[in-house]
Amino acid sequence: MEDALLKIKEVSKHFGGVYAVNSVSLDINHGGICGLVGPNGSGKTTLFNTVLGLHKPDHGEIYFHNEYISHLPPYKIYERGLVNAFQIPRLFFNLSVMDNMLVAARGQEGDRLLNSLFLRNRWQKQEKGLIEEALDILEFIELEPWAFTPAAELSGGQRKLLEIGRALMARPRLLLLDEPAAGINPVLGKKIFQKLEALSTNGMALFIVEHRLEILFEYATWVYVMDKGKIAIAGQPQAIVDNPDFYAIYLGEE
Amino acid sequence: MDPLLYVLDLIVFIGIFGIVSLSLNLEFGFAGLANFGKVAFFLIGAYTYALLSQTGIPFYFCLIASALVSAVFGLLISLPALRLRADYLAIAILAFGEILRLIVKSEDWLAGGDWGVTVARAISIEGASHRVDALINIGLVYFCLLVFFVVIQLLANSPYGRAMRAIREDELAAEVMGKDRTKFKAQALMMGSAMAGVAGALYVQYLHCVLPGMFMPMITFTVWIMVLVGGPGNNWGVLLGAALVQIIERGTNILKDYIRFLPVDPTLLERILSDLQYIAFGILIIIVLLWRPQGLLKESKIRSKVQRLAYDGRRAAKNKGS
Amino acid sequence: MAVNWAQVIFNSAVTGSLYLIGAVGLTLTYGLSKFPNFAHAELITLGAFVGYFVTEQLGLGWPLALLVAFISSGLLGFLCCCGIFQPLARRGSSIIHLMVASIALGFIFRHSIGAIWTWKPLYFTGTGSAFDFGPLRITHLWLWLIFAALALSLAMHLFMMYTKMGKAIRASSSNPGLAQASGIDVDRVIRVTWFIGAGLAAVAGVFRGADTQIWPMTGWDIILPIFAVAILGGIGNFYGAIVSAFIIGLAENVGVVGLMALGVSTTYRIGIAFLILIVTLIVKPQGLAMLFRRA
Repeated sequence: MEDALLKIKEVSKHFGGVYAVNSVSLDINHGGICGLVGPNGSGKTTLFNTVLGLHKPDHGEIYFHNEYISHLPPYKIYERGLVNAFQIPRLFFNLSVMDNMLVAARGQEGDRLLNSLFLRNRWQKQEKGLIEEALDILEFIELEPWAFTPAAELSGGQRKLLEIGRALMARPRLLLLDEPAAGINPVLGKKIFQKLEALSTNGMALFIVEHRLEILFEYATWVYVMDKGKIAIAGQPQAIVDNPDFYAIYLGEE
Repeated sequence: MDPLLYVLDLIVFIGIFGIVSLSLNLEFGFAGLANFGKVAFFLIGAYTYALLSQTGIPFYFCLIASALVSAVFGLLISLPALRLRADYLAIAILAFGEILRLIVKSEDWLAGGDWGVTVARAISIEGASHRVDALINIGLVYFCLLVFFVVIQLLANSPYGRAMRAIREDELAAEVMGKDRTKFKAQALMMGSAMAGVAGALYVQYLHCVLPGMFMPMITFTVWIMVLVGGPGNNWGVLLGAALVQIIERGTNILKDYIRFLPVDPTLLERILSDLQYIAFGILIIIVLLWRPQGLLKESKIRSKVQRLAYDGRRAAKNKGS
Repeated sequence: MAVNWAQVIFNSAVTGSLYLIGAVGLTLTYGLSKFPNFAHAELITLGAFVGYFVTEQLGLGWPLALLVAFISSGLLGFLCCCGIFQPLARRGSSIIHLMVASIALGFIFRHSIGAIWTWKPLYFTGTGSAFDFGPLRITHLWLWLIFAALALSLAMHLFMMYTKMGKAIRASSSNPGLAQASGIDVDRVIRVTWFIGAGLAAVAGVFRGADTQIWPMTGWDIILPIFAVAILGGIGNFYGAIVSAFIIGLAENVGVVGLMALGVSTTYRIGIAFLILIVTLIVKPQGLAMLFRRA
């Protein structure tokens, strides 16, 4: 347990007296797909945003690779390999699909002012590799033909794919995905999960919020169920499905 | 006045304001910063140059000092200001410019207060004609313009410029994608201020004087027209915008010299001509915002041959394979 | 140098009253349309010139001057809103574009005024003379100004609390989506607010013009403190504006005493508002609004 990849310790976040996340503790291990499910408003997205550094936790601590990260700004957390894909794509709409991908690469030499002017050879060399990598990902998400079109001209489903592809571009150590299968066709949704599973066996850890439980439960190795800001149940997918409390939580709202 | 001199004069002005509009393009066109106090940094450069040149320091040193002092002010302003929302930033920087003008106006010891002081030309040759003088200035101004243009163009097409554009598009998303938005914006403001400072220095040495009335908020506004009309995010576009606006502005001034030949009441026309010009500018900008918000020239895409080559290479390999 | 503190306090009330009347429109339109209207300065200027036109050039009385100024600036604000700002907002223009458009409109108005009335300063004549009241030096105009600010505060309070339109303004300002969903025509509310706000700017312009002089920059001369009032009071917050107008009035007048004591030029009095503005933006951008949660 000591060397869990992500360690969330009794984290709480409240907005004006209402606890969105209430003393949540959980671990994400290296590799594998971990699911996070729960009814709307149970605090999943707030928990994600707190991990990403967009919210500072009111209580509790978050460790990534045994490093305390709760005080870090989002861009530093990202540089450590903790990457996120938003539920509603937040693309750079006036940039081309390719440039959207390239922006996301970690540790770019040309990202610094002076390097970009005076060490052109160095970043151009790096850039070549990144472009190949981006093309590989674009090919997988079937966006290669649109590589040079502005992201604004993509359809809703394509935007979603680009959002995920862009996150992969960072070669994450831990990838947080907020509803990756929402808004794209089921076949592609399944394909994405297959690819994600392949990535997870290569050592990338995934932490996924997903409402389409049938897909998630097929691939997840561990699932946390959140309810009213707390972790209500945790276990392997099969155990969750067999747990009567799960239905009470999930169907309670309907 | 000598007709050729009008043209040379126009070219100098296009160059000086070309620099300022390039600097605003860096800040607004690429980094998305609403700098409504451009004139403040123009003023800082101008007064730095005016004060330093009186001590007999060589002009190139004064120019560099203008850039540095402006850059430092840009950085100082950016420290608190960049945490602000776009509208607060706009109000704060605009107010900063007004206060600076107030200071140079009130402090007589600084540079003559409201009356200003004369400023020596950067390069002056004994007994040179006005034409030669103007040509020298064209050389000086366009040398600076070229340097800045190349720098911004290189930045815009590098990963640095790409990150900057990403921040403009969605700063929060850029921040969770590893871009330190405050750093990028501060650097944009610093570089933009340095360039505006140099332009201010060139401006006052060309006009031989510096006085607070030269730094009205109107300057900021005309630079915004140049950028928005020309096309934010396109360096060629903003130069085109600078040229258009300056042609109209200088043209109106020239018209004033010839007004007595027109078949209208000269006193009335003379009185309202510059008012009409600014009314026209205002209408122009509203038309652009309503019907062509991207400006005359569209934002230039990030130019990368490498991307194309890699892409086409793959295509070719695939076609061979199938 | 002995300072006449009673006079300082009184002057603060006068300054605060002027800023309050000038800032109400700005803060309300800013809160509703979500961008600062820089052309507000020219709405003030226009009011001053229309007031001048009615009293001096037509020779009619003050009440009529205020009314005509109110209506003409109000109409102009209304037209800007539905002719330019709302169409721009509908086209998805960014806040920066809206601000640029407002500056552009300001230029059009300022130079139109300059073309019509020239850039030479003009003076109102029938402003009455000063008289002494105890330790105070007072003019009738100042008394009217304070009275106008008090009347405005009361009227706005009643309007915001008890009329349908006032409630709609408050609702649309705090949560436009919810207001729209509950059957309020937010666009109409915005247009009405622009009319009232611009009209009040004109009233401020007439008072300012009568107190000093008028020229096409009249409004621009006091736009900094007016922005400071709107921001310190909390954008869109009328009650905050009342408090902050008098805070800034007081700060300016006490500041002037301080400047004179230090031997610094009193032209810096406008710098005091600037300082308050910057500090508010950096330290607490929501201004005094937290004091008036419900407003």
